[in-house]
Amino acid sequence: MDFLSDFFTKFGAQLQSPTLGFLIGGIVIAAFGSQLQIPDAIYKFIVFMLLIKVGLSGGIAIRNSNLTEMLLPALFAVVMGILIVFIGRYTLAKMPNVKTVDAIATAGLFGAVSGSTLAAGITVLEAQGIEYEAWAGALYPFMDIPALVTAIVVASIHTSKKRDKYFSEEEYLSKQPVAAGEYPSGQEYPTTRQEYLSQQRGTANKVEIWPIVQESLQGSALSALLLGLALGILTRPESVFESFYEPLFRGLLSILMLVMGMEAWSRIGELRKVGQWYAIYAFFAPLLHGFIAFGLGMIAHYVTNFSAGGVALLAIIAASSSDISGPPTLRAGIPSANPSAYIGASTAVGTPVAIALGIPLYIGLAQALMGG
Amino acid sequence: MAKQAKKLVIVTEKILLKKIANIIAECGATGYTVVETGGKGSRNVRSSGQPNVSDTQANIKFEVITENRDMAQNIADKIAVNFFNDYAGIAYICDAEVLYAHTFCGPDGC
Repeated sequence: MDFLSDFFTKFGAQLQSPTLGFLIGGIVIAAFGSQLQIPDAIYKFIVFMLLIKVGLSGGIAIRNSNLTEMLLPALFAVVMGILIVFIGRYTLAKMPNVKTVDAIATAGLFGAVSGSTLAAGITVLEAQGIEYEAWAGALYPFMDIPALVTAIVVASIHTSKKRDKYFSEEEYLSKQPVAAGEYPSGQEYPTTRQEYLSQQRGTANKVEIWPIVQESLQGSALSALLLGLALGILTRPESVFESFYEPLFRGLLSILMLVMGMEAWSRIGELRKVGQWYAIYAFFAPLLHGFIAFGLGMIAHYVTNFSAGGVALLAIIAASSSDISGPPTLRAGIPSANPSAYIGASTAVGTPVAIALGIPLYIGLAQALMGG
Repeated sequence: MAKQAKKLVIVTEKILLKKIANIIAECGATGYTVVETGGKGSRNVRSSGQPNVSDTQANIKFEVITENRDMAQNIADKIAVNFFNDYAGIAYICDAEVLYAHTFCGPDGC
């Protein structure tokens, strides 16, 4: 019983963290129709600042640590990224009125990692004084890229199979029910002279993986993180890190959380249109993904002495779903998927759940199990 | 001395910017103007000013001045076939008279 009461006390304390407070604050003022606007440029800059900070501290840590320790957690991060897509493929995609490509894209986004959730998790760990490997932030790309690549490949295989079917039997055009939005699912779009031309489309059904990897690496979040990592490893950035990045980190994170909260509210309307299955998936998936990653992290804990904070952080990034760099990659990679479905599910439900429930849950669990 | 020309306008999603710019160049147009924009269409209100951290709600508007209708239509066809099934977008052609562009060649030559 000690375990449970200990866990609930810590869980309760996490609920009062400023990170979560600002997130909920953002949701509340957006719900009241506030005119408050944070300029685009500001939160783009904040994302850059947060991830370069995470990258720098990771880079500094890598320089001073034994890299072999990182192998197992990195492997687990890759496994999680791929696994999450398949979980979505075989749960969400099987639900009534859910289009398979939409489900795969949603799963891909939940497999990808949110820089803001990662930053929020790190802040909470630091505030609680829990030890974690500073390089754990560098696990981000190991989960992010495999998830996006897997989602795009799985979706392409699915659509090309459907296309083959279409060419063999014409009756495929008996369209799938439209699950989302107020616009048609697409098939009948070019009604003018393009119709004959559109037949030419879809001859290329080979999926190239490298462009997807390249696109995610070039995305704003990953480039900032990797730049920070490289600078942390190759240069001695301690002075600027301690005087500039470190002190600003929490304040900027609180502003980003406010924006995320406002965005979450503005996406709820879209999510409502695509149906309840997305909302249910978006609520339970982050918790499930986090628990699986937590289990894998525990294995790493016993094998290579991965710290309790590190295990919690692995679970937090598994629970997070990408908000900033993932959506454009998926939009370009799986064009036929409906962005209202995956962005709505991730931003309106997934991220708040990962931050509000996931972070305190995994940190509390790590402390209770490993006494971090 | 105004030169007759066609103006092709394409309003679509911002993430297609580079791909569409490539198509325009491939089709032989020498330039284009692109602005960030927003509005309402079959995919509801886009670029609405609500917070949007991932840029997937942003729209752009291309304007391409072409010497003849064929080139404009060629560009529009390629874009429609490649993207308009899956992305928000509309393309339309207007008549235009180019007044002061010293490098622009109309149907009557430069």
